Amino acid sequence: MSAVRLRNLTLGYERRPAVHHLEGAFAEGRLSAVVGPNGSGKSTLLKGVAGAIRPLSGQIELSGLKPRDIAYLPQDHGISKTFPMTLEALVSLGLWNQRGMFGAITLKDRARIADAFAAVGLTGFEHRGVDQVSGGQLQRALFARVLVQDARLILLDEPFAALDARTTADLVSLIQRWPGEGRTVVMVLHDLDMVRKTCGDTLLLAREAVAWGETESTLRPENLLKARRLSEAWAEHAHVCHHDDAPAPEHGDPHASAHSHP
Amino acid sequence: MTVLADLALKSAAAGALSLALGGAPLGVLLVARRMSLMGDAMSHALLPGVAIAFLLAGPDPVALTLGALAAALVVAAASTLFSRARAMPEDASFAVFYLTALAAGVLILGRSVGEEVVHALLFGAPGALDAHGLILAASAATATLVSLAFFVRGFLAEGADPVFMRAARAPGWALHILLMMLVALNLVAGFRAFGALMTVAMMMIPAASARYWARGYVGQAGAAILLSATASGAGLLLAGMFGVEPGAVMTLAAAALFAGSAVVGPINGLIQNLPGRAHLEG
Repeated sequence: MSAVRLRNLTLGYERRPAVHHLEGAFAEGRLSAVVGPNGSGKSTLLKGVAGAIRPLSGQIELSGLKPRDIAYLPQDHGISKTFPMTLEALVSLGLWNQRGMFGAITLKDRARIADAFAAVGLTGFEHRGVDQVSGGQLQRALFARVLVQDARLILLDEPFAALDARTTADLVSLIQRWPGEGRTVVMVLHDLDMVRKTCGDTLLLAREAVAWGETESTLRPENLLKARRLSEAWAEHAHVCHHDDAPAPEHGDPHASAHSHP
Repeated sequence: MTVLADLALKSAAAGALSLALGGAPLGVLLVARRMSLMGDAMSHALLPGVAIAFLLAGPDPVALTLGALAAALVVAAASTLFSRARAMPEDASFAVFYLTALAAGVLILGRSVGEEVVHALLFGAPGALDAHGLILAASAATATLVSLAFFVRGFLAEGADPVFMRAARAPGWALHILLMMLVALNLVAGFRAFGALMTVAMMMIPAASARYWARGYVGQAGAAILLSATASGAGLLLAGMFGVEPGAVMTLAAAALFAGSAVVGPINGLIQNLPGRAHLEG
């Protein structure tokens, strides 16, 4: 069963498509990876599924999921380090979907927050300011917030970028528990070895779906080569897409945003 | 105390206390959101509103206040709309709007005898805090504290992680507009007594100083209120003694407290950061 189904989905910014005509589904209770070269539309896809941007065309069908059932951890998390906020306050933001602006935070909620701190190995750091912790500790705290959100669909955009091996290993083992709890996880990753080890399904993007299915078959060399060729093609000598929302040439380079089309 | 026996000074003290209670906690939010210059921008934007009110109604305090409030709200709403449309960084849109407002104000004042307006904007006149003025200042403080109490979770969440709040479908824009309106209200409540720019100073300087005293929002807001009230008290007394403009002396007192905080404050203060003390924590 699919948790997220994409129907001829095109996403982009200011009417310029970044990813095109996606057709397929992320299976419920599975760990799916989204991989592809830089600029292939991975982050855009996650933003779209999270509801942060609207489709230019096509649809995203969330089977029975409401916005409150989605946890989204973007690549640029946007946490302001100048903000007077403790890690505990940051993690408790995960309750927003359940408690909103005014709902009381119960003892049970507090226990869940404490459990989340324990799960990411940050017990004892609750009262540190966000300006007092390392990048790895902040990422652990953001994972704790995802835990507190208790979401059925979890979207992670390059969650291990700039993390050390130990932190990455800890967080990977946390993520691997989620499908067993019935949660669907979609994460953008660069490390293909990690994708092979951790994700059952993979979507290979190069502004369009190059391949989508079981990780082993998706990541075959010919697919990876095709993805690379496609992404190079967008930089130069590509055909212009005849989609309604075709991008206008940008920065004076007539090829910069042109792209090929099957 | 004989100085405080002066009724005008008592009113000024009450007004300054209101400003401390309302303005300083807002200042902490603005500093935290890197919007320290927003209050400044808005205070410049009062000029055309006050000038138009002066042209229409003369030096009527209610008219001047309403004119200022209208101008501040227009600038707050317009710049919010522009920056929310993501066409423009917020500070840039504020710069555009307040400079435009300032130019319009200068143009209007050039055609009228606007000394009262200019004086009110720059220096303020503590005597201007009549009963109405005090009620307005107290109302601004009350509205601010009540709004903060109700919406503090939203203000903090929106300020700390706007990306998360957008994904959570939280009404960030509404909170933003509320914040702007509260800033405008406090500014307008203070400007006739202490001058628009000095009012902003009492909002922002104690808020910046508070970062040397506390890490969390509540601690910083409390510290900012205390610092603002202390600076106001000291400034009013000194101004009374030497017969000078209180707004400026209050601001200088706040600046002195800022310097003191930067030296002795327990959070990243100079002494705290001396070699040998820097590694005491964690």
